[in-house]
Amino acid sequence: MQNIVKTFDTVQAVKNGMFHLRKGEIHSLIGENGAGKSTMMKLLYGVYPVDGGTVTVNGEELHDITPKLAIRKGIGMVHQEFMLVKQLTVLENIILGFEPLKGLTIDFGKARENVQHYIDQYGMDVQLDKKINEISVGEAQRVEIIKTLTRGADIIILDEPTAVLTPQESKRLFQILNNMRSAGKSIVFISHKLNEIMEISDRITVMRQGAYVGTVEKTATSEGELAKMMIGREVFLNIEKESVEVGNTVLQVKNLWTSGEKEISKVRGISFDVKQGEIVGVAGIDGNGQSELIEAITGLRKVERGNVILGGTDITNMSPGKIRKNGMTHIPEDRNIRGLNRNMSITENLVSTLINEKTFCKHMILDTSASSARAQELAETFDIRPRDTSASTANLSGGNAQKVVVAREVSNSSKLLVASQPTRGVDIGAIESIRSILVSQKKKGIGVLLVSADLEEILSLSDRIIVMHEGKIVGSMQASQANEENLGLLMMGGSDAAGKRG
Amino acid sequence: MNWETIFNTSLVYATFRSATPIIYAALCAAITQKADILNIGTEGIMLTGAFFAVAVSFLTHSWILGVVVAMAAGLVISMIMAVGHIRFKADICAIGMGINLFAIAITKFLLNSVLGKRGTFSDPGIVPIPRVHIKAFDSIAVLNTLFNNWAVTEWLVIVLIIVIWFVFYKTKWGLHLRAVGQFPMAAQTAGINVTAIKYEAIAISGLIGGLAGAHLSLGYSALFTENMTNSRGFMGVAAMFFGNADPVWTSVGCLVFGFADSVGNRLQAHGWPSQIVLLMPYAVTIAVLAVSMASKIYADRRKKSSLLSAAA
Amino acid sequence: MNKNLNSVVISMRRILFTMLLALLIGAVCILCIKQNPLEAYAALVRGAFNGKLRIGNTLASFTPLLLTSCAFVIAAKAGAFNVGVEGEVFLGGIAAAYIGINWTFLPAPLLMAACFAGAMLVGALWAFIPGALKAYFNVSEVCVTILMNSVAVYITSYLVNGPMSAGVANSQSKPVNVTLPQFMIPSSANVGLFIAVAVVVFVIFMLYRMRFGYKIRVVGTNPQFAEYAGINPKKVFIQSMMVSGAIGGLAGCIEILGVHGYFLDNFAYNLGTNGMLAALIVKSNIVFTPVVAFFLAILHSGAMGMQQATGVPKSIVDTISAIFIIFATMETLFQPKAGHVLKFFTSKRTSKREAVK
Repeated sequence: MQNIVKTFDTVQAVKNGMFHLRKGEIHSLIGENGAGKSTMMKLLYGVYPVDGGTVTVNGEELHDITPKLAIRKGIGMVHQEFMLVKQLTVLENIILGFEPLKGLTIDFGKARENVQHYIDQYGMDVQLDKKINEISVGEAQRVEIIKTLTRGADIIILDEPTAVLTPQESKRLFQILNNMRSAGKSIVFISHKLNEIMEISDRITVMRQGAYVGTVEKTATSEGELAKMMIGREVFLNIEKESVEVGNTVLQVKNLWTSGEKEISKVRGISFDVKQGEIVGVAGIDGNGQSELIEAITGLRKVERGNVILGGTDITNMSPGKIRKNGMTHIPEDRNIRGLNRNMSITENLVSTLINEKTFCKHMILDTSASSARAQELAETFDIRPRDTSASTANLSGGNAQKVVVAREVSNSSKLLVASQPTRGVDIGAIESIRSILVSQKKKGIGVLLVSADLEEILSLSDRIIVMHEGKIVGSMQASQANEENLGLLMMGGSDAAGKRG
Repeated sequence: MNWETIFNTSLVYATFRSATPIIYAALCAAITQKADILNIGTEGIMLTGAFFAVAVSFLTHSWILGVVVAMAAGLVISMIMAVGHIRFKADICAIGMGINLFAIAITKFLLNSVLGKRGTFSDPGIVPIPRVHIKAFDSIAVLNTLFNNWAVTEWLVIVLIIVIWFVFYKTKWGLHLRAVGQFPMAAQTAGINVTAIKYEAIAISGLIGGLAGAHLSLGYSALFTENMTNSRGFMGVAAMFFGNADPVWTSVGCLVFGFADSVGNRLQAHGWPSQIVLLMPYAVTIAVLAVSMASKIYADRRKKSSLLSAAA
Repeated sequence: MNKNLNSVVISMRRILFTMLLALLIGAVCILCIKQNPLEAYAALVRGAFNGKLRIGNTLASFTPLLLTSCAFVIAAKAGAFNVGVEGEVFLGGIAAAYIGINWTFLPAPLLMAACFAGAMLVGALWAFIPGALKAYFNVSEVCVTILMNSVAVYITSYLVNGPMSAGVANSQSKPVNVTLPQFMIPSSANVGLFIAVAVVVFVIFMLYRMRFGYKIRVVGTNPQFAEYAGINPKKVFIQSMMVSGAIGGLAGCIEILGVHGYFLDNFAYNLGTNGMLAALIVKSNIVFTPVVAFFLAILHSGAMGMQQATGVPKSIVDTISAIFIIFATMETLFQPKAGHVLKFFTSKRTSKREAVK
């Protein structure tokens, strides 16, 4: 791929992209969030049309790429968000678009045979007749990989595949990738996790702010050097962990049961507490009930059994508005749908939770000047760009959008701050500031409940860590005793049979 | 009141007869619904089909031509909706309502200016859809009441239900359709042309909607009245919701309407005020729709509840 | 501020072009029936404005459309598609008629107020049903409201032909004991016009300057965010449906008290539907809605005159309105892109919102 340009509306996602892949290598494409690496590969796979530059595969220049063409040329992609239809079975998803036919109908028998061949060849464990919404994330990822193989892919792109895996599962994935490389496949591995990159890659290409920075051999570089190439400056992500006097209990969760989207995410009997001045981190693979737990605590999901007590008041099943009044603020994991109203301005978003306060609303009439003033103040303090708070939030970058949410939640007095995946999809600069904001909250004596799928984040920020698996707490310890190994093991349910359990 | 004059064997056929146009309308809506497109314009497509069926049958004295042109008209109308919604990003409910209003207006206009009639158009020159007379049934009373003298399109609707069921669940196109409706991005990355599938779904829907209208006007009384469909298209949509776009369950919903309609007619003969009788089918449809949606939500809630003991 | 003005101009331009396109297609239809479109349109305008009687009737047509379109917009802002305004007008009318006929124990001004209050209450309650069904059971409010319209019309028809009948050949009720003062007699223009304008102005103010309006807009654009921020989306949805119903009922009341003086069977035919049309054409932009409502009032008011003068049937007006709305709902038609004005085909650049899922 040479001189690639891609623009979305007014945002130039890729300014000058370049990527050369050799046969039979694992080539990593790295960069921080928003660097353009995901976009580059989506262009190759034909998800978006290319605005400028050339794409050449096996000596042939490709134009007007569509996924169908890409697949025909032997390119397969495993997306960050799995392209699996939940209500259909694993088998139906694998054959989608490439169904073997028997007259007018689909020949499911033949399909099964074909797929089984690949399962056996690469040692992947999947259950063909289960619906997608019944299987684990690790298994779903294997389904995605099988999809690419059954379609005859020789070039396989994986977009942030380890984001949803435990360290043990990642190791298993690497085994599979090494098998594929030995079979002559070429693999593109997109990630921002430097330690994994150093383990798995042959060569590494770095992108920054939409442009190509350089390509290096794994043996000729180090994590620190890669970080510098990615960001352009020295970065200190590890925050000095200061211990603060821990005060009274501010949140008590007692034997909480709540509904869940999938069987393994139903919360069944969780109890823990959070004290003033401490950060409690909840570790776990996405989808094991963390989202449901947070929703239950914040009033967005019905508590079916048990209690939630905030600073002495029982807030079980109170409305979100009342819970806020009692002193809980919440940075939600989905900022686009829950955290912000992307159709409205920055000001309207910043003031939304305070709309019943007399300062912003007198006699049912909105006080727009007070709202604007407050919004300006917050934009300055939290470095929200653009500074014009009457602008719509529709086009804000991930980092700035998250800053709006953080600004709003943190600037309101609270006893407990619930932060769910606070730095997901956010650029390095914003990650730094959001993490230090969380620490400063703790220093103010506020209790912080942090949920994150990023183990590094949990380890670096938390004072205490609890691990969730299949809706229950399977371990809890002081941060000083925790490391990636033992946390990873607990996240898997304590068993090391990574292959079987998925 | 003599219950036997209301609830007897002929009520079964009457139910089916009333339900048939609704079934066609519901199937029309179900096809696009599988692609996650709510065909609010079903009513308009049906009305247009009804008009063209009668007009062409009158002008050419051929019911077959009437039906064919009706389906073509339905196709044209649905394609306007398709282009507007898919290409020009019109909101499906808005353009659907626009199509419905357009159908009422254009059929009235064409009726007035081209055929020179007002209100109702009835003429011996209109050739209706023929009925299938099975001589063998003449002697057996029950079979005669239930199955004899069905219009061709009444037999056809049963075939259509089976065909659509087969297409949805057993064919490649049906799988693609369902994938597009549930997760278009997944379909796209599998190489499926999502836009093409949507156009195809709406086109087929238009053909069936036109057929629905043809059956309505040529199937029984061979006449056309302004706004003849009278919300039957919407009842089809409601039945589609009830049946979750599955052809078999949807048809069951339509039978409920047909039942209310038929019983209502008989009650009217017993002196019940006409307006009360006329509103019964609508009220019943709303009630059935409400109950079915509510039970879906409760079933979903129960399934997701943590208190449900997990299967071993 | 500049960007806002720019988008307003673009919207206005788009509506204008769509209107011209609809009129053009209408002209083609007129040509097909061998009439002269220019004469027809001229007769249309004359029919709407020529003389006090005609202008008065145009204003009288405009009054209910102003209210029904406003009613639809309020519901739309909360994310509801309330086709049921039509039914609410009928039921509001019958409620006003009932009170106006029977509650003679009240002095005249109180009786008038009671008529209005009753009409609005009945409209609100009627709209509560589909609102609650959607909010709690996710039942399509489009379907339910359309079906309920038929029920409403049948109910009022039964009442006016039965218990409330005046006993004359025409399907109407006994006369009401209070009426709204008319002006520009002998047209049907009445004081209700000013009431309607006041209501619409208040609604605009409420939507953008009051807390309830803010809540409606938040729920309409992102109900999950509303819930998270402490606004109850179900309650607000139902409340806005009820306000919508109340305004529809108000329109019915004004027609009964101001235009007819008694309840006339099928008096409100298409009033709700045309109001909805006006709102859909401008995508429920509350400021443009009255403008399009006025345009539709002109069309319908002038249609009779056009039919009498030229023999072009009234139904052409319905056709033009429907075509207008079909094209108006097509968002990307007539949108200028990258320096090209009137570029019909969308450019190859993909929109970020499609990309970011």
